[in-house]
Amino acid sequence: MNPVYPVNDYGPLMPGLVMAAVAIVHVFLAQFAVGGGILLCYFQWLAMTGRNTTARLFVNGYFKILVLISFVLGAMTGVGIWFTSIQVSAPTIGQMVFNFHWIWATEWTFFSLEVVAGYCFYRYHNQLTDRTNLTLLGLYAFAAWMSLFWINGILSWQLTPGSWLETHSLTDGFFNPGFWPSLFFRTIVCMTLAALIGCIVVNVIPSLDRSEKQELINRAAHLMTPMLAMPLLGGWYLLSMPEDSRSWVLGGSPAMMLFFMISVGASLAIGSYALIGLWFQKLYINGATATLLLFMAFGATAGGEFVREGSRKPYTIRHVVYSNGIRPQDVAELRRRGCVADDPFPVTFESKLPSANIELGAKVFRRQCAVCHTMEGANAIVHLTGTWDTDQMRMNIAKLQQTKPFMPPFAGTAKELECLIQYIRWVKSKRQQNSDEDISQETLERITHWLDEAGTEPADVHGVSTSAMAAREGSSR
Amino acid sequence: MNTTFPFGFQLPLAFYLTIYVLTLVVHVVLMAYVLGGSLWLTWASLFPGKEKTPRTMQPVARLLRDWMPFALSGAITAGVAPLLFVQILYQQQFYTANLLLGWRWMVVIPVLIVVFYLLYVVKSRAIASWALPLRVLLACGVATCFLFVAFCWTANHLLSLDQSQWPTVFQSGNAVTSAITLALRLATWVCGTLPVMSLLGLWQLRGMRSRTAKWDAEEALVGTSPTEWDYRFSQENRRLMILSVAGTLSAFIFATLYYSQLDQKVRHSLTGSAGFVWLMVLVTSAVAVILLSLSRRKKSVQELSTLLGLTCAQLIQLVAAASLREVIRLTQADLTAVTQNAADAFQIGGFAVFLIFAVMNAGLITWCIVLVKQK
Repeated sequence: MNPVYPVNDYGPLMPGLVMAAVAIVHVFLAQFAVGGGILLCYFQWLAMTGRNTTARLFVNGYFKILVLISFVLGAMTGVGIWFTSIQVSAPTIGQMVFNFHWIWATEWTFFSLEVVAGYCFYRYHNQLTDRTNLTLLGLYAFAAWMSLFWINGILSWQLTPGSWLETHSLTDGFFNPGFWPSLFFRTIVCMTLAALIGCIVVNVIPSLDRSEKQELINRAAHLMTPMLAMPLLGGWYLLSMPEDSRSWVLGGSPAMMLFFMISVGASLAIGSYALIGLWFQKLYINGATATLLLFMAFGATAGGEFVREGSRKPYTIRHVVYSNGIRPQDVAELRRRGCVADDPFPVTFESKLPSANIELGAKVFRRQCAVCHTMEGANAIVHLTGTWDTDQMRMNIAKLQQTKPFMPPFAGTAKELECLIQYIRWVKSKRQQNSDEDISQETLERITHWLDEAGTEPADVHGVSTSAMAAREGSSR
Repeated sequence: MNTTFPFGFQLPLAFYLTIYVLTLVVHVVLMAYVLGGSLWLTWASLFPGKEKTPRTMQPVARLLRDWMPFALSGAITAGVAPLLFVQILYQQQFYTANLLLGWRWMVVIPVLIVVFYLLYVVKSRAIASWALPLRVLLACGVATCFLFVAFCWTANHLLSLDQSQWPTVFQSGNAVTSAITLALRLATWVCGTLPVMSLLGLWQLRGMRSRTAKWDAEEALVGTSPTEWDYRFSQENRRLMILSVAGTLSAFIFATLYYSQLDQKVRHSLTGSAGFVWLMVLVTSAVAVILLSLSRRKKSVQELSTLLGLTCAQLIQLVAAASLREVIRLTQADLTAVTQNAADAFQIGGFAVFLIFAVMNAGLITWCIVLVKQK
């Protein structure tokens, strides 16, 4: 059983939103760093082979931006994402670190190489030969891409653990069904981001005339041509997803569908512009347009990351940890013992709780709901249950995984569930209702009946054994 | 805990503890350069001296300004490894302390981003034309940011040790359970960074002195004579040596006071079989650093043998300090749970993969340095 961790209150925001914000910024910067390495190698090669003499100016200018943005913000948000993950779901990041600590350590060795090769180029490129500079940039690009390679294995495992569920083999977990499509897709995204930022950089180099800028822009656009493969890779990735997750994205969840469409739409617009305008027609692109396209790429990244995070519901690691940090195999025990029996942390987010039951309910809310919901802010429980009467609320929460299949099963006793409902009703009443409602035996029996009816398993595996489930999900490899 | 750390433990725990301690030492070396360096720059800005060239323009300050952004990058990168292994060994303690500190812990990230950019500002030539108060403010700002980060790490570590206080801390929101203990531990580490920074400064000074032509040319612009030049180097050497002695002595005093604040059980562990050898190693290496620094303080350039001696003594001292830090932590932790965590993690594959790529990337990193050296 996972230890009980304290949960912080973020006011009207739920911790999941904080996580999303940090994650999107980090992914965007990290992908720029990876693509930037590839673009710099290309331009260094253009310069040293005499294909484009002004490319040298670009390499020097671009690398300064890469260092100032990617080395600083990218590296720091990388650590930040680790800290934020702990704030949001300590059991999830703990499980990921536990299973893949040597993979993470391997990634760290590549990150170290990336930093050293990058700084060697940054400090000394003016004093080195072209060949040495290309070697350093090549090492930088290789290390940056390998960082992506390792981290991609861990991240894709969260949604598509595949046959790892049965074998628990590191290789099965790392090379999971989502690994390859995700890796190729992300590599193309990296190159696109780098090319778009390249277009902005070209526009701010003062010593270039218009035709030189156009030549460089068209060269940078070469890195966007692999976007042609995006629909194919996107389709492959969708196919590698578990059926239920795919259904959220393709219409099952309006929010997820919306973000998916934003991502697809923005990518389509960027890809069309890059291929038709920059590649075939050799158009010029000014700084403002390039910035606009970059913003669209940020939108596409944000949408894609939202979909990736959201489609894992009700898990953060499929079949291993639920979004609230509770493990599937602990639900039955928590139904028997209670989910807050071991919670030593007092309720601090409410100042005056009128009764012991409501206090217990507040604790249950914190333990099971607070990661993804607030009471009255974003994704508020009060609003989501607004149209339900008390009995409906009891049944719907007792059968939560059937009420909403992307929710985990309720993992507590009947009394805890009833107390949670009392707490929700108390907040709904603008915290006016002061009486301590007794809980009748009949109510508890009804709730127990509903809990038993729903069972302790999530909606997607109701009645399916773990090995059958693993075989089913692994077969998509 | 009946044998010298980490030998008394089962293999998995001893293995992870050793890796943790060694990676932590690498991080501490780079962190010390940045923190100690920022304090040096603050001192040099506040007290520019009466010489023709202000202290901020003298060799050590110039080297620090030039290398601190890279050192910070290195410190953060090197910090990832111990951060990874601490999550294997002390997951519950580390995560709970993170959560109890909440936004006060998260704010470390934006502070580090700000100070990272400030270091690039410090490095830029433009600040030479800034008014003195502004330059002093910048130097103080950088040092304050680093001290704040050090404070947060210390608070986090102390909080992670004291499980019985967690509910109270969560209720009150006061993350500092004992201000004295925190201040003493923080002071120990801050003072301990000074000899490490001095040592790295001495190595850099030696390298700079050997690149005479370049240095001559640069200095010729400000009209420094060769005699003045020699004098300046010997002064900087002396300052670094004195700083090394002062840092070691003050760290020792603060560590002794910190020791007096520790629980009886923890003190017994430190002076008992688990920590005694490391305690002796720590004291001996500290004495070696002090004696070497005092005896060679008047040289204008340090001999290679002196620097190698100081480096060995300093590294041994850091390993000993990091080991004692773990003895303190393990005495207060649930040893059965920590042992089980390590044993479970030991079963997970991937170590061979790590080893292969670690060797390969160490080779590639060396290659990068060789390529640059050949310029």
